[in-house]
Amino acid sequence: MALLFRTHLRLARTSIRENRTRSFLTCLGIAIGIASIILILSLTGSISRLISNEVYDIGTDLIVVRPSTTKDEVTTIIEELTTANSFQTSNLSLGDVTTIKGLSAVTAAAPIATTSNTITVDDNTIPSATILGTTPDFIKIEPLAISTGAFLSNKNPDTSIVLGHSISIDLFNTPNSVGKTIEFYGKRFIVVGVLEHIEETINFDNIDFDHTIFMNMSALSEAIPSAQIQQINVKVDSTDTLSAIAESIEAALTINNSGDTNFTVSYGGQIAHPASSLLNIVTGMLTLVAGISLVVGGIGVMNIMLVSVAERTHEIGIRKAVGASSYNILMQFILESLILSISGGFLGILLGYTFAFLISIITPFTPYISWEAIAITFLTTVAIGLIFGVYPALKAAYKRPIDSLRHFR
Amino acid sequence: MSETVIELKGLTKRYGYGDTESFALKDFDLTVKRGEFIMIMGPSGCGKTTLLNIIGLLDRPTYGEYELNGEDVAGISARRQAHLRAKKIGFVFQNFNLIEDISILENVALPLVYIKQPSTIRLKNASNALDRFHLQEKEYYFPGQLSGGQQQRVAIARAIVADPEIILADEPTGNLDSRSSHLVMEELKAIHEEGNTIIMVTHNPTLTVYATRVINMLDGHIDTDIKTVEDHNLPQPVSVKFNKKHKKKRRKH
Repeated sequence: MALLFRTHLRLARTSIRENRTRSFLTCLGIAIGIASIILILSLTGSISRLISNEVYDIGTDLIVVRPSTTKDEVTTIIEELTTANSFQTSNLSLGDVTTIKGLSAVTAAAPIATTSNTITVDDNTIPSATILGTTPDFIKIEPLAISTGAFLSNKNPDTSIVLGHSISIDLFNTPNSVGKTIEFYGKRFIVVGVLEHIEETINFDNIDFDHTIFMNMSALSEAIPSAQIQQINVKVDSTDTLSAIAESIEAALTINNSGDTNFTVSYGGQIAHPASSLLNIVTGMLTLVAGISLVVGGIGVMNIMLVSVAERTHEIGIRKAVGASSYNILMQFILESLILSISGGFLGILLGYTFAFLISIITPFTPYISWEAIAITFLTTVAIGLIFGVYPALKAAYKRPIDSLRHFR
Repeated sequence: MSETVIELKGLTKRYGYGDTESFALKDFDLTVKRGEFIMIMGPSGCGKTTLLNIIGLLDRPTYGEYELNGEDVAGISARRQAHLRAKKIGFVFQNFNLIEDISILENVALPLVYIKQPSTIRLKNASNALDRFHLQEKEYYFPGQLSGGQQQRVAIARAIVADPEIILADEPTGNLDSRSSHLVMEELKAIHEEGNTIIMVTHNPTLTVYATRVINMLDGHIDTDIKTVEDHNLPQPVSVKFNKKHKKKRRKH
């Protein structure tokens, strides 16, 4: 058996080598499909790793309170995507923030409420700048560095704001915009601080801080009464266990909301979850599209195999006459299609990672090479080789020898 | 007395049904002894090739009995048929039927692939078979690089390489000029003299001098059947006697 396998392997190799161009093009069809899947998995993998790394960096003393959703349900997330604001209605209030702050193990708690507005300063206009309403505690939780001035503080007036590094440059053409004023929501706000430039634009808050205007929550509620708190970040004494603190937060908030529990308290790996479940859907959809191209590649393999079988009808007749069984012929052609698709797969994995590295040069991604992705794509190519090779191989195997012998080239 | 290799009884091959029904073979009986060189002659469409295909296990009779070496092979599985083709039957065709894409050495070794001989042994055996036909130095040529006569000798080498019980030749000289024909017939004669059984279909009456038995077919049955050599004078393979002794010894143990 092993012996015959080696012979078939050699035969398949010879046949593929003889039709080099044809075989290469067929492989390329598979390779492009595999390459796009690898590219997608590597880039999305790198994003979800960035988020979980950030959570890890911030430390083990972070608890996040979010309005409750049935997060895992695909439909909910798609509904969220279709609405303009990606956050759902929230029952969280500043009162809840105060309650959490009052708990014993909590060192800081800051709400996050985002909205966006067109900001114009002289000639510079930003059509939809992110405006984040929070409290001075925010800086204690998020590892943000101030380049000039200071962060929001209770000592400063309500109308003080802090700018991200990039938005400061966009608006004032300089990172030193402390003391300048911006007018929006019918009020005049004074810049009291500017952040250091932030390379990483992806984090568990889903906010690009570099392009954000930070303002006091109270001022935001005043300007937009409907502004909702979408998240409360909580920093705790790491001496106690996170789960116990999370439970006490949950209990306190339940009392606050008169028994309503439409919020979730998450910590550790769960924090990255909403972002990654959204990412999973995007990954899934992109992979599906790439999968379609893989099917097209598979049909290419089938096409070429059918041509190969038709071309070699006479050869099949000879082989059968000298003693090849249908099974031998079947194996010969299946192996050939397997070799085509697997070598296409290898080419695709190489191409995919090459593209991922090229993209990583101009973007903040670091390509994420996972053995799972490689194993899955490899198995996929094996499956494609089998699925699309079986029909042509069966067709070859069940040719009647006398008919095939009569078939001339 | 020579051993019976092939026994056909009431062999019938029918094509079509009802009005279109026609018989390529009708109640065909034939007994072939070891060492016979049979030439089958007859007009086109008399069933010669069908007979050869059925004997060669490439085709099945509609009904009738076929025993090869005492084994009933008329109704065996396709897989077993393939196995017997590889082990017991060697084919020589009019149009040589060599695979163009592989060297003649590999062509000759082809039947050995399917009886699972290891690669090195296979190529050595094939090389020895080619040597016999003075083609050893052309081992790595491709069929297209050889003349018709040479290609047919390669095909004969392929037919005998697995040491088959019978060699079936379907007009082996049909595509060759008279010189090459003569060479090929001499080779077949030499093989026959070593005790091999050959059944050959031909249109050429001058070739019957090589045969030990000439069968004329007409409309699917035997018209005339002339034996020129007595059964006990048929050449026998040396290995047959050796094998028999060997088998007896084995049985005693």
